[in-house]
Amino acid sequence: MAVLKIDNLYKSFGGVKAIRDFSLTADRGEIHGIIGPNGAGKTTIFNVISGIYPPDSGKISMNGKDITHLEQHQIALAGMGRTFQNIRLFKGLSVLDNVMCAFDPRSKYGVAGSLAPLPGRFREEKRGREFCMHFLQMVGLEKQAHEHPEGMSYGHRRRLEIARALACEPTVLLLDEPAAGLNPMEVGGLTQLILKLSNEFNFAILLIEHRLELVMNISQIIHVQNFGKTIAVGKPSEVRNDPQVIEAYLGKEDG
Amino acid sequence: MQILQYLINGIALGSVYALIATGFSLIFNVLKFSNFSHGALMTLSAFSGYFIAAGNGWGLVPTILVSVLTGAAVSLFGEFVAFRRILTHNTSPVYFFVSSITLGTLYEGIVVLKVGANFYNYPRFFGKPYRIAGLFVARSDIIIFCISAAALLLLAYMIRKTKTGRALRSVSFDRDTASLMGINVTRTIQFAFIVSGALAGLAGVFLGINYTLYPTMGSIVVKGFIASVIGGLGSLPGAIIGAMLLGILETTLISIIGSGYAPVFTFVIMLVFLLVRPRGIAGSNIQEKA
Repeated sequence: MAVLKIDNLYKSFGGVKAIRDFSLTADRGEIHGIIGPNGAGKTTIFNVISGIYPPDSGKISMNGKDITHLEQHQIALAGMGRTFQNIRLFKGLSVLDNVMCAFDPRSKYGVAGSLAPLPGRFREEKRGREFCMHFLQMVGLEKQAHEHPEGMSYGHRRRLEIARALACEPTVLLLDEPAAGLNPMEVGGLTQLILKLSNEFNFAILLIEHRLELVMNISQIIHVQNFGKTIAVGKPSEVRNDPQVIEAYLGKEDG
Repeated sequence: MQILQYLINGIALGSVYALIATGFSLIFNVLKFSNFSHGALMTLSAFSGYFIAAGNGWGLVPTILVSVLTGAAVSLFGEFVAFRRILTHNTSPVYFFVSSITLGTLYEGIVVLKVGANFYNYPRFFGKPYRIAGLFVARSDIIIFCISAAALLLLAYMIRKTKTGRALRSVSFDRDTASLMGINVTRTIQFAFIVSGALAGLAGVFLGINYTLYPTMGSIVVKGFIASVIGGLGSLPGAIIGAMLLGILETTLISIIGSGYAPVFTFVIMLVFLLVRPRGIAGSNIQEKA
């Protein structure tokens, strides 16, 4: 069964048709690249999937469960993790606490445990810390666990966002331009990291990215968006040679 | 010796201001608006403590419990009727301002309906003050200080070390991102209101013990606002430090220049302080967001 199934998604803002008839089916272990020029509606797709705003029509289901009209936090709890194009970390919190925030809704103690020192609290806090340190280790930030994200480099903050998304225990991971603002060396490291995570967790990854070499190298399937419409879907090699795509997007890139 | 006496009285008064300032700051932190119904909520809780518990001859502990529970419950109710829709529709914060004032007026009106313009006194819960090395220490002050300190320490621990605290902090930094990580933002905000209301109830009882109960006693909340601004709006440790300073300043001034002039000078000093350091003692990142 597909972990993520999107059928005929539509979304308009006033007169602007941001998404027109977007469909996608992703299985475990797959990486889907979504590319297209600025304003093609890529981030809007992510925002609709993760519940920031509802679609005008269409259906989204995850692991067979209809999530189209769930609230954001319910969708996250159903197994959706995401990162943001403009990094959105919790600034006042330490690196570890940023990750813990995403684990917390899944930990098994409540308000009573927060107010009174019940044994469940200590057990769950310890489990959460170990769990989250493990994710920090995977993205290579375990040494910075007690620092604050404000002081970290751009590349590290991008990695921290990925660690925080992992703490959501996702079956679907949405990465919104994870390589934006990174230097070529960091992009190489990020590529390796995404592949490693994909192997290790076997979740479906949706990747919005402008760096074509990155998307083309690691995606099994590429969706090319232009003005809200999908103009091509297929393997990287097929998409690369599609005349429509070359005209809309790649042509400009190659100059 | 005299200075020590001012210090003791000031700390006791300051701990009540600290409860008010913290309850106020908590909501400010999470929702970025000043909850002007906080004072009237304090009044309403203190009176319900009087009518349900103290007036029936129940002791201090039941009175505190009734007030705290009333404060928490009414605050939760207020969140639902006055703030929830503004929040979910992401409309202008000016509506928070209007609805919190309206809500406060409503609470005060309910109290006036019941008690008119009369003054009420809690029964004497405490015996004679202790006399230690020439200093008078009221028993009520000791109890008030200890309970306030315990409540604030518990709150501080919860905010720094538990999942509920992390949820509060993440929601106060970025509501949308927090909910995308699976945090139930509505629940978290409700919890902030419950805690803030409980602190208002506690402060209400303590004010009633130190002074008298009257329908407009909530206006003393202004001092809580001031304390939280001096401390650095939105910072909880700042609010506590600001409250202590204000309490000590006030009792010292009352002893030196009398209770007529003391408020005037207190407010002048506060204004000067804010001119010199508008960010408050702890400073904060609020400006960055505004």
